[in-house]
Amino acid sequence: MPIELGPRAAVHLLNRIGYGPRPGDVERILGMGLDRYIQGQLDAPADPELDARLRGLNTLDYPISQVLTLYNADQRSIAVILDQLYTAKLTRCVHGQNQLQEVLVDFWFNHFNVYIQDGFARFSTAAYEREAIRPHALGRFRDLLGATAAHPAMLYFLDNYLSRATVTTGGRVVRGLNENYGRELMELHTIGVDAGYTQEHVIDAARCFTGWGIDNLSTSGRFVYRPQAHDTGAKSVFGLDLPAGGGKDDGDKLLDYLAAHPKTATFIATKLAQRFVSDDPPPRVVDSAARAFASTGGDIREVMRAILGSAEFWAEAFGSGKAKTPLELVASALRAADAEVSTGRAVVAYLQNMGMPLYSCVPPTGYSNRGADWINPSSQLYRMNFGLDLAAGAIAGVSADVRGVVRRMGGDSEDPRSVAGTISAVIFGKGLSPSTLEAASRVAPGGPVSVAARVAGLCLASPEMQAR
Amino acid sequence: MAWDISRRVFLRGAGLAAVGVGFHPSSLLVRAAQAAEAGSRVLVQVFLRGGCDGLNLCVPFGDTEYYDLRGGIAIGRSEVVSLDGHFGLHPALAPLKALYDDGRLALLPAVGNYALSRSHFDAQDFMESGTPGDKSTGTGWLERSIAKVPGNAVTEAVAFSAQLPRSFLGPEPVLVAQSLSSFDLRARNWRAEAETLLRAMYDARDDALGHVGQETFAAMAVLLRTPAIMAPPAGGAVYPNAAIGNGLRQAAQIIKAGIGTRAIFVNVPGAFDTHANQLAAHTLEFTRLAEALVAFARDLGGQMDDVALMVTTEFGRVAFVNGSAGTDHGSAHCMILMGGRVRGGRVYGSWPGLGRSQLYQERDLAVTTDFRDVFAELARAQLGVDGSSLFPGYTPGPGPGIVA
Repeated sequence: MPIELGPRAAVHLLNRIGYGPRPGDVERILGMGLDRYIQGQLDAPADPELDARLRGLNTLDYPISQVLTLYNADQRSIAVILDQLYTAKLTRCVHGQNQLQEVLVDFWFNHFNVYIQDGFARFSTAAYEREAIRPHALGRFRDLLGATAAHPAMLYFLDNYLSRATVTTGGRVVRGLNENYGRELMELHTIGVDAGYTQEHVIDAARCFTGWGIDNLSTSGRFVYRPQAHDTGAKSVFGLDLPAGGGKDDGDKLLDYLAAHPKTATFIATKLAQRFVSDDPPPRVVDSAARAFASTGGDIREVMRAILGSAEFWAEAFGSGKAKTPLELVASALRAADAEVSTGRAVVAYLQNMGMPLYSCVPPTGYSNRGADWINPSSQLYRMNFGLDLAAGAIAGVSADVRGVVRRMGGDSEDPRSVAGTISAVIFGKGLSPSTLEAASRVAPGGPVSVAARVAGLCLASPEMQAR
Repeated sequence: MAWDISRRVFLRGAGLAAVGVGFHPSSLLVRAAQAAEAGSRVLVQVFLRGGCDGLNLCVPFGDTEYYDLRGGIAIGRSEVVSLDGHFGLHPALAPLKALYDDGRLALLPAVGNYALSRSHFDAQDFMESGTPGDKSTGTGWLERSIAKVPGNAVTEAVAFSAQLPRSFLGPEPVLVAQSLSSFDLRARNWRAEAETLLRAMYDARDDALGHVGQETFAAMAVLLRTPAIMAPPAGGAVYPNAAIGNGLRQAAQIIKAGIGTRAIFVNVPGAFDTHANQLAAHTLEFTRLAEALVAFARDLGGQMDDVALMVTTEFGRVAFVNGSAGTDHGSAHCMILMGGRVRGGRVYGSWPGLGRSQLYQERDLAVTTDFRDVFAELARAQLGVDGSSLFPGYTPGPGPGIVA
């Protein structure tokens, strides 16, 4: 069977820089041209339709202090606030026009991971994503790094708010340092674990940030710098020497240095290529992304342009694909079914069972970027069941009319072969394999569950749906 | 149980053959007999993610330096549950004392490997691959162990985890599950049709996605035809509602169901990365740990004789308290071993001491036992696997002799 290049390339693009096609998307972006679509995604203009959908979620923009005030008045309020955050996340992935931006917000949140269930993080994670991650998702890496470093959510999660200079009083050493942020800043956020830094560098990196703290954990929750807690001694971190007498700027200078380090360019380029190209990305695309990072001073938009312009990215359109993470699987299924998400709670439970609860990765490492890590029998069962439940309309807070979609796309909703063929064309760029098409077409007529729901459920649970 | 009969028959055969060659059993036959002997034994690995501090788990309260180093987060002499006058359990682990006294629980402090590194991710990866310092190892240590065990039942290797643990990475089939209950397709009124057609889709593929689908349906078939798997805990065991409790409860279920399970991995994410406020985090986590281990022993009852369980973590923590009533990433950690064949009631290993010159890099408890020696000992005792070729580039030593 000859492959139609256009639809396959369009589906690839929609799957990689977004959460997959909605019915009609393939035709739409082929009509406008893939170049123009990419440019629009890099520009990420205003999305009033999405804003309208989010308007009902009134706590989304609350500053940390307001969340704390509400919580102090009534502890039950935090459950509502978190529910709104989860619903907003799914709404953006499923309904947002700026799909690349949503993918990158997810990518950077995960890169600079904080765990929402951890104490003060519950009150500050929404603000963290809104203030530190989202504005810089397609911006400059140094801005992103600085915004995360100084955000109360990160200061809390990696304990830096507690870190202060170790002092000697009356001949006795009073230890004040907390190494957590200093280590993860280098290992996870910038130069990478294999860069070659030492334990002494970890200690000195942590010393740079002594005094970077949080004003009051139960009322204001604002960033504060406490000069009296800062270690003013000289520091040496992985080639950067800072003389004695520095203040808050010790931390800023270290962030400048690490953001501009060639190891950071390679580390970030590798991770982005892993997200957008393949689990083990070819060195050529990593090199070109790293060069774009280095030559533009860490302009994420230009790094993305390099990746999306590479032959390696497009070659993947005709490969075996990259396994979807649970979020990618769930969001892409919701989009494929043209579903409306009014509340995210039931979907969040599915993500939990698949091993990827929203904002809830415990280790600072973040969730794995490798598709292969998400494929196992337990997760697979939940993945198949999500597709079956979605098509059958059995997920609370989610409505999907697969029959209507099939008809709208020109298919015969009572004929299994026509339903499967329509889904293959509209969602998979005609990429469903003959064996999958044949199996889906064997659905028996009649019965309590409609033909369209059963065929769509099988297609959403199919092997092809598991990869992007 | 069919399993027991075949095992006995095989042993008798091996014995006769040994007699036949004039009381000089060939090493091959001895090994075969060992493998058969181990045929119904189970190895359980519990992995506490985050780097669980060993010094406040098994407290060296006999070392005065401990109190100097730990300051405000030290466990007082009057609070520890003394084991031998020098070491004592954290008070939240007090329920384990009865198992220790009963000779079924042992502790091994100062275990690890310096090449594990102080990075969570690297240390976990290195420990699970069994090759500290080498990231190129494509398989996990438990996968290599189970590969040497005859048979490939879909439930031979089981992980209670959201993801396939690195320890099981490799070609051997592994059942990874968060929950054994309702391990079934959700297709009310058309379940049979859904299974037939989905199976056809996944059977048609010979790639990773196809294989995982096939394994899913194979596991589903076994679990659905083994209702015993859903038996409630026996002996009045009560598991805590936490990852470790849910993991060990299901580990006991699958062991009791007798469906050929030999190696089980229980993944425990938790508040073990105690950079701050360590005392509160430990009270919570150690209470769960102790409750879960006690429930597991009670639930399995006599079947504990076939089980050896080890609790491990990627690294221990710095010997001294940091500025936040917590501890930063260190080196040696402490293992807990439990089971009917564990020679318990003892604290094993050689204690390196806490003096300034005795600490590794003047900050961490030193390593005196390589973790791979313990892994190899368990693989040998529980799976009948020769440990000498289990770890590329390393021949394990004789081991601490914890498992009979």
